Amino acid sequence: MSKTNGGIEVEGTVIECLRSANFTVELGNGHKILAHISGKIRKNHIKILPYDRVLVEMSPYDLSRGRIVFRYR
Amino acid sequence: MNTLHSASGPVDRTVVVTRVAEHQWHALEDDQVVGRGEAVRRPDGRLFVGVDSWHEPVFRKLAAAMLAELPRPLFTVVDEGDDDLTAAWLVAGFSIGRRERGYVLPTDPRVSGLASVGPPSGVRIVPAGAADTDALRALDSVIRAEIAATVGWQTMPVEVLHRPHGILAEDLPKFVVAAQGTEYVGLVRLVTATRQPRIGLLAVRADHRRRGIARALLAHVLGDLHVRGTAAAWAEINEANTAAAALVEGAAARHTSTNLELVHQ
Repeated sequence: MSKTNGGIEVEGTVIECLRSANFTVELGNGHKILAHISGKIRKNHIKILPYDRVLVEMSPYDLSRGRIVFRYR
Repeated sequence: MNTLHSASGPVDRTVVVTRVAEHQWHALEDDQVVGRGEAVRRPDGRLFVGVDSWHEPVFRKLAAAMLAELPRPLFTVVDEGDDDLTAAWLVAGFSIGRRERGYVLPTDPRVSGLASVGPPSGVRIVPAGAADTDALRALDSVIRAEIAATVGWQTMPVEVLHRPHGILAEDLPKFVVAAQGTEYVGLVRLVTATRQPRIGLLAVRADHRRRGIARALLAHVLGDLHVRGTAAAWAEINEANTAAAALVEGAAARHTSTNLELVHQ
């Protein structure tokens, strides 16, 4: 877990692709959150698929939501 | 290239937007970054903008600041199903330029129905990496000139980039070519660096269309992926390109998402 100026970043695994570019991501602690893709991910046309390991920036206002900011290869 | 997904939190905010670099903006609240905006110039010269924020008022402020300082036209991309984000950009003055459909293509010939598809008489398929460099570059130039002179690059999927320098040496293994005699008449570019291979460009010279060459190229690359153990490939198609959509849908491709390209003139 790391802290950036935008919020807390946590690693997780994509377990489901939902509509509207939303994803269910299971975090390392077992919690599942709803995450959408960041502008940088969309800009670079990086596709997110189930079982992808991703870095999620947690919403500082709602810890059940986050933004996927990086996909590990 | 932007996100706006409301979460509960403070509504009355004193947010200050600062341009921190030529193409980068930050929204600050109490010295904390609560939103980011970014602009990127694509290889085709178009300027795309994006905003990441957790709250709609922050999004509005970032978008307004960026629009006030950037030249037109500006572009952005949203998922068609993301109603909130789409609405936010429309309110900011953007309009829908085009729709781009994403497809997953099965590679198994028993599923795609391409098992018995081959090139038309007199045409042969040159496998990836075996094309003659000069002939391939000549074909690429012809096809790109045809696109520039007809539908234009702005109508092509965002991944089909205008490449002023043409095909580079490192690109050659990505191309499968259809040849007639010594002349190349069609090509497909397959990007395999990603976990799900992507069909980057599938094109046939205008004077050789309607002969089944594109279908034969598609059958070849998908069949080759299947042999190598890859179950599916990915392709993006401009919704207005009905011929391309019919080609992949005829190969059992599944439409999985649609991106909207928004433009601010």
